[in-house]
Amino acid sequence: MEQRSRESHIAFLLVVGLVGWFVPGGGHLMINEKKHAFIIFVTIALTFAAGLYIGSIGVINPVGAKPWYVAQIMNSPAVAVIGRTTASGDYPVYGRPNEIGQIYTSIAGLLNLLCIVNAVYWAHLRRTEDAGE
Amino acid sequence: MSTISAFIIATFTTPENIGVTPHSMLWLLPLVASISVVYKTTKMPKISFFHFVKESVVLFGSIVIFMAITALVLVAMAWLITE
Repeated sequence: MEQRSRESHIAFLLVVGLVGWFVPGGGHLMINEKKHAFIIFVTIALTFAAGLYIGSIGVINPVGAKPWYVAQIMNSPAVAVIGRTTASGDYPVYGRPNEIGQIYTSIAGLLNLLCIVNAVYWAHLRRTEDAGE
Repeated sequence: MSTISAFIIATFTTPENIGVTPHSMLWLLPLVASISVVYKTTKMPKISFFHFVKESVVLFGSIVIFMAITALVLVAMAWLITE
């Protein structure tokens, strides 16, 4: 019985992490932290959109800028869809707009990673507090 | 596709014109603001508006001041080395 409860808890933590990755703030929404979820969603979406606005979708470059792409994909799997569009090299971007756009979109992704870890940690903490462990 | 939606999509397919000028450093401010807001969101279990804004502003100010001091130290070092 305890084994089953533990497995379901791990599955719940995985779901919290995955939802937080699919939609920024989704993990916090799953653990009923609506204010946190709203603030995280708005801030990360705005930061990511600002990066795309400054540098265009060309800043998401899975071919020529792989390390940046790893950070950018932390925003959402939807970034991979943009990556497939730009992989052909039809949206070239150079210089300062490229730098600023990459920094904005990558920082947004790393912030989302922080939020995912935070949501999973809180979900785990609540379970252990409820169980009195 | 309507003109408005075509215009919105077009803004995300062409980069903005930003030169390599001292003013372009100001682009770090919105980024610092979002870092402060998200970081404080993860650190505060209960969010009340004024407390949250105060904490975020304090963190924003701390980061900007620390970066300014670091920049000044680097400029001073570069000046000492090159003079």
